[in-house]
Amino acid sequence: MSLEKQWQHINEQGDDDLATLMNNPQLNKLTSQQPLQKIKNNLLINMAWGIGIAISYILILIFFPFWQVRLCIGIVFLFTLWAVGTAYKQYKSIQPFVSSQNSLLAEMKRHHTSMMQWMKTQQRVALFIYPISTAGGFMLGGAMGSGKSVEFFMSKPIVQITLLICIAVLVPLAYWLAKWLFNKSFGKHLKTLGENIEELSREEQ
Amino acid sequence: MSEQDFLAAVKSNQGIIFKLVGLYAADTEEKKDLYQEVLLQAWKSWPSFRGDAKFSTWLYRICLNTILTQKRKQKKINYQERLDEISPAVESTARLNEDSLRLQQAIRRLAETDRAIISAHLDGYNNGEIAEIMGIGLNHVSVKLHRIKQQLTTILK
Repeated sequence: MSLEKQWQHINEQGDDDLATLMNNPQLNKLTSQQPLQKIKNNLLINMAWGIGIAISYILILIFFPFWQVRLCIGIVFLFTLWAVGTAYKQYKSIQPFVSSQNSLLAEMKRHHTSMMQWMKTQQRVALFIYPISTAGGFMLGGAMGSGKSVEFFMSKPIVQITLLICIAVLVPLAYWLAKWLFNKSFGKHLKTLGENIEELSREEQ
Repeated sequence: MSEQDFLAAVKSNQGIIFKLVGLYAADTEEKKDLYQEVLLQAWKSWPSFRGDAKFSTWLYRICLNTILTQKRKQKKINYQERLDEISPAVESTARLNEDSLRLQQAIRRLAETDRAIISAHLDGYNNGEIAEIMGIGLNHVSVKLHRIKQQLTTILK
């Protein structure tokens, strides 16, 4: 039997699992497990958290009258707004459903690019927001804990050094954590996508 | 068109979904997930189906684009010279004869993109159509097909 005939024979067979699904599909109740849909859901959660955190920053700005804390929290607040805005733009731009118009190569590239963009956003957040956030939190916690002003609390060299150590440790840690979480969720998938893109693109060179 | 029309059209072409999913699913659980995802993706894209291509070709593209962009289990396939004693990688509720099963198992041993190319070829798409579906040049389809057929012959020997 030729390969084509053997292949066609598969076509003629049924599959009970597929038949069950076709007989009772409830199309509107199906949920997508596509990575881009998951990223879109994550972006929505990020935005909700971002808005909640921004509100808490506003409360800190109102109730804690230390200018150093206000400066740090004010900067972080602006960054948070920027992050929420960026997340919203990305959320709107991600098309989670596959296109029937795109070729396989174009569709794989689209998915790969969207996922990489999301990862870069997460890393940017880690690099820009966390140092200032750490400094703000450190000064606020120190001033509240010691019951002294921020100027007095921060005037001791040991405290200044501790703050620098906190930033030096926490920022790379947060950056690494963001990267690790992303790789854990999408690393293998991205690698496979990348290899498949490479495999098809190589032929074009 | 209604949901019923859509389902009727998919039902008459369900062999496409069955065959393509069978080439990529690592196990029964993943097979069911992929069936469901393909059905959902096709349903969501249904309004964009303008009828200027055959429904089967449209479904083929949706199916392939869905499967290859979906996060799947990473299953290492160990190359074996002989296929005689190989049991189905996906415990199937389907009924395949021995030759078809051997062919399916042989194709599953190829690289992911090669599986897509050879399945389209075996389904009767010409090189131009395959080039369009895959997004690569016509000459490269020919070169790749030649190489894939050689690989398949070696595996099926």
